[in-house]
Amino acid sequence: MLRAEKLSAGYKELHILFEINANVERKKITTVVGPNGSGKSTFLKSIFGLTTIHSGRVIYNDKDVTLTPPHERTKMGIAYLPQVDNVFTNLTVEENLKIAGYTLDNGEYKDRKDLALDVFPELEYRMNQKAGTLSGGERQFLAIATALIRRAELLMLDEPTAMLSPKFANTIFDKILELKDRLGLTILLVEQNVKKALEISDNAYLLISGRVAFEGKAEELLDHEKFEQLCIGI
Amino acid sequence: MAVIEGALVYSNLLALLSIGLTITYITTGVPNFAQGTMAVFGSYVSLTLWLLFGVHPYHTIPVSFILGGILGIAIYTVVLRPMIQKEAMIVILMIATLAVDLILLGALGAYSETLGVISGKGTRKFIFTPMDFKILGADAILVISSLAILMLLFTLFLLLYKTKFGIALRASMENPALAEIMGVNVEYTRIFSWFLSGSLAAVAGTLLPFRQEIVPATGAIIIVSIFAASIVGGLSSIYGALAGGYIIGMSESMVTFYLSKVIGPYILVYSKVISLIVLIIALIVAPSGIAGLEIWRKRVWRKSSSS
Ligand SMILES: Nc1ncnc2c1ncn2[C@@H]1O[C@H](COP(=O)(O)OP(=O)(O)OP(=O)(O)O)[C@@H](O)[C@H]1O
Ligand SMILES: [Mg+2]
Repeated sequence: MLRAEKLSAGYKELHILFEINANVERKKITTVVGPNGSGKSTFLKSIFGLTTIHSGRVIYNDKDVTLTPPHERTKMGIAYLPQVDNVFTNLTVEENLKIAGYTLDNGEYKDRKDLALDVFPELEYRMNQKAGTLSGGERQFLAIATALIRRAELLMLDEPTAMLSPKFANTIFDKILELKDRLGLTILLVEQNVKKALEISDNAYLLISGRVAFEGKAEELLDHEKFEQLCIGI
Repeated sequence: MAVIEGALVYSNLLALLSIGLTITYITTGVPNFAQGTMAVFGSYVSLTLWLLFGVHPYHTIPVSFILGGILGIAIYTVVLRPMIQKEAMIVILMIATLAVDLILLGALGAYSETLGVISGKGTRKFIFTPMDFKILGADAILVISSLAILMLLFTLFLLLYKTKFGIALRASMENPALAEIMGVNVEYTRIFSWFLSGSLAAVAGTLLPFRQEIVPATGAIIIVSIFAASIVGGLSSIYGALAGGYIIGMSESMVTFYLSKVIGPYILVYSKVISLIVLIIALIVAPSGIAGLEIWRKRVWRKSSSS
């Protein structure tokens, strides 16, 4: 569904990613792990068009989207949830959902909203509350719900469980699995919670210093003889 | 005109101007030093229509609104946007608006000469006060400038809270990068904010000659009060700018009036000093302005602001 071909990217002259080849399969969960600063967030941002691309291409559904502006990619079904600041804190939950449906007509927005609230019924009671007053976990729910409303087919999540209690983190992992199984979404996940993330994943990439150090099935990476060793840096 | 009435009119107009200045500052990060002269542009639009076509200045408000908005968009798209896209520093943007101010000032000066020749009347200085009338015993300018503010607030409220575009506008103000991710074309919201700012300035400019004499350089003088009002308001919220407009407008008018009674009328020349003193006192009491009393954080522009 999505391919990065020899993608080198960074911020202005700064080079962070080097010739990344990656393939995100349809209706699968693909997880990217790696030490802090290895370029995981930069990878997601590059796929969404928020960085400087030095060379290489991003192919989405057989179309070259390397130069497509971010708001156009949203319309094409790519949703990206940043690691921080992924909801509008001054807007209410309801307004956040509405903005997420910015490009939809009213009828469709209603359907998508019902679907999102079906997956995250917790939000129903908080519609008129400002997003800034939600708990960390509820905020992640809202962020993912906005992606659902955006008619996302490919959902890119940057550390959705960061700073959450283990219990809430597990709830998030369950929801991610539900999104794949029930709604048939394709998910590209970046996680620090490596073990948990790989357990629900199909495919995995290990990124070290902006290069792909491992690619394959998630369980292969879990069983990898060097896995513990690889984890030391993580 | 009674002192209080005059002070209220002035505050109403100042609020229109500081709301405009604040909106473009929030959406594009530009401190616009041309805001005062953009108002004087509106004054000249109305003067022209009055001198050449005999249209009463109050009836020129819609024309002023539209032309002012177009001027705002032009300043943004022609001068500022190319600089912002090259990530110019705020100081550079500030100086660019000063340059725009000087260009506008020159253009207005030349225009007022030409208008004087065409109409056969003096246009270097002008005032609309003789054309004002009474509504229910009050000066029409008081009623109309108050209505302008009320209508603006009502429309802004409907726009910002009841329409999808308005929610997108507020979203873009808080976090432009995220708004872009959500599929909002953030550039539209920036262009809209410059339209609005320009049109509010021009409307204020149409009304200002009912209170004071206008010359092309009037903008360079009132810009001090506009900035004082916006900064007291915190430069981050529309309601802050509104409150700032009244705090600065009332204190500037009232304090100078009483000082002139006590010390002598020569003090009137220094009325802008009052604005600055109020500004300093306000910033000591509330360092990030009125809006800073509420938590507020956001960064303009940087696309990669999210980790
Ligand atoms: N906006 C930016 N401008 C310049 N450099 C940046 C920017 N964002 C990130 N970097 C740099 O890019 C490198 C990779 O950062 P990135 O955020 O992609 O790492 P990460 O793998 O997501 O790390 P973490 O696990 O801590 O989130 C870091 O050295 C970082 O300092
Ligand atoms: Mg990261």
